[in-house]
Amino acid sequence: MSDHLLEVRGLRTWFETPKGTVKAVDGVDLTLERGEILGLVGESGSGKSITGFSLLGLVDPPGRVVEGDIRFLGEDLRSASPRRLRDLRGNRIAMIFQDPMMTLNPVLRIGTQMIETVRAHAKVSKAEARAMARDALGQVGIPHPDERIDAYPHEFSGGMRQRVAIAIALLHKPDLIIADEPTTALDVTIQSQILSEVQTLTREMGMGLIWISHDLGVVGQLANKVAVMYAGRIVERGTVDEVLDAPRHPYTRGLIDSLPMENDRGQPLRQIPGNAPPPLGRPEGCPFRPRCARATEACLTEPAETEVQGRGWRCFHPLDERAMV
Amino acid sequence: MTGTAPMIQVAGVTKHFRRKTDLAERLAMRVGLAEEPPTVHALDDVSLQIAEGEVVGLVGESGCGKSTLGRVVAGMLPVTSGQVARDGKDIAKLKGAEARAMRLATQIIFQDPMSSLNPRKKVIDIIGEAPRLHGLVKRGEVRAEVERLMGLVGLDPAMANRYPHQFSGGQRQRIGIARALAVNPDFLICDESIAALDVSIQAQVINLLVRLREELSLTLLFISHDLSVVRYISDRVVIMYLGRVVETAPTDRIFDAARHPYTQALLEEIPRIDRRGHRFSSVKGEIPSPVNPPQGCHFHPRCPFAMDRCRIERPVLTQASPGHSVACHLDGGTGRPLSEAGVTTGDIPAID
Repeated sequence: MSDHLLEVRGLRTWFETPKGTVKAVDGVDLTLERGEILGLVGESGSGKSITGFSLLGLVDPPGRVVEGDIRFLGEDLRSASPRRLRDLRGNRIAMIFQDPMMTLNPVLRIGTQMIETVRAHAKVSKAEARAMARDALGQVGIPHPDERIDAYPHEFSGGMRQRVAIAIALLHKPDLIIADEPTTALDVTIQSQILSEVQTLTREMGMGLIWISHDLGVVGQLANKVAVMYAGRIVERGTVDEVLDAPRHPYTRGLIDSLPMENDRGQPLRQIPGNAPPPLGRPEGCPFRPRCARATEACLTEPAETEVQGRGWRCFHPLDERAMV
Repeated sequence: MTGTAPMIQVAGVTKHFRRKTDLAERLAMRVGLAEEPPTVHALDDVSLQIAEGEVVGLVGESGCGKSTLGRVVAGMLPVTSGQVARDGKDIAKLKGAEARAMRLATQIIFQDPMSSLNPRKKVIDIIGEAPRLHGLVKRGEVRAEVERLMGLVGLDPAMANRYPHQFSGGQRQRIGIARALAVNPDFLICDESIAALDVSIQAQVINLLVRLREELSLTLLFISHDLSVVRYISDRVVIMYLGRVVETAPTDRIFDAARHPYTQALLEEIPRIDRRGHRFSSVKGEIPSPVNPPQGCHFHPRCPFAMDRCRIERPVLTQASPGHSVACHLDGGTGRPLSEAGVTTGDIPAID
């Protein structure tokens, strides 16, 4: 059977609140193969992080995955037992968060935490686990891993802490890593170092990686494939070159156009008017309609995805494929 | 620019921070039982000029002192040594009405509007408080003035009675800008003012700042870690590293002909959508702590071109060409010429 590494169909994660149902993720499809890096791009509130959490069964009440199919190497994760999920998480599927202190316990030496993680999923002696932990630290570029393994999280800089979190994610050589804005809080030169490690490791280990980010620049340089989210849906997807060079959805075009690097100095920046709709007040039809220059009456109905050879978009008035800057 | 004094002149400013000690600690130190608390060298002999009407972009990574410099220039923090002059007058020596006028004429817009706006106050009070207290508007005219300011920054004046949490992030930043403008400043310091905003909203706020600068003839010090934003908005760029200015030049020069290895590395690492499959990482190592900065050139432990001299002697900021100064020992103290740098700064395309 030729199973995909990850296949998500029609994922819906909703939050029941006293004021109504927040449809944080509202019909998301994703496919990922080994060795691929998918950039999941969106602005705040687009549902990109909740998508990541949903895949791992990490959505807390009042949130709930209400619909959809999540298959990891063919295995249905939605109907998997909590025990099975726990077995997969941190072992076959790992997650890296924006704030490494979400992963690290501040009162334990990082070695202790890493040995614990190793032994949670593998029957090895403490000494073996420690050796694995040390190797993982070396792999992510932490100098003197033999000494640093006995340090506490606060003794590391922000960038080093994020490396430790990545080392923990890599301990079991997972098949899939979900990374939620892991370099957003870091300085440019440090971000670049970590991106470099991640790029090499994915290539060498043949992992699949979902890189959740608001930064088109980072995704453009790191990923093979891009999915752009807006108001809980993927509005455009394709290879990095397809999406960034010839976006079909007006929202993607707008995002690219508003990057300062894409604009002439002295001219006003091209901007997307208005704000993203609040989660409880999304407009009928296409959620981007009120901000879209191409909107017509047709957009009062929600557009379904048009798919052409693995490239998809949700828009009644897509931009011309050849319309390049 | 005229021949008179620049609007802002920062001359050899050093700023150290040290944790306050209590009596017990001081006693312990006296008898040798405790060590002195560490000193953070936030600014180390920084000089800078800002001409009237200029937009200066101040760029650097965490801990480089860019925010401290902003606060020092605004007169919010005293300097440890050196001098900050506004229109030729040392701001530390200003007294009374003159000092107040200087403070009002310089305003700061912060990064996080949620933590710089009082959540219990309505927008009308947030924006209207300062002009009323300083007697710039009469009590009865506050509402009209606030509504005018809200219109100026693109907010609906009908929302004057709402609280900050009822606005989106971009709108809150507009409130912060309106509040700064309420006292008629001629100089604005934007400290990472758009860093927390989404891309599409960021563009809106940048456009607003550019428009206001023209309409109100403002001078701007734009502090940011984001070179791509700075390139767009600034006339001149100042690059800082660990408390020191390492390079300053007109914006085009920085982007086309950067000389300092650190500037070149920063340019190389800007995430850009037109560079696919980029090989990341041209700078190795961590940013050292400002508590214990390296000897000589602060950048030498990470610099691919470091020589023995760099480990001992601090490079001074030297003019490499008119308006372009660099603090680097390479090439006669003017940084490394691009052709030899081995850094592909050149693939930053010309502005089309």
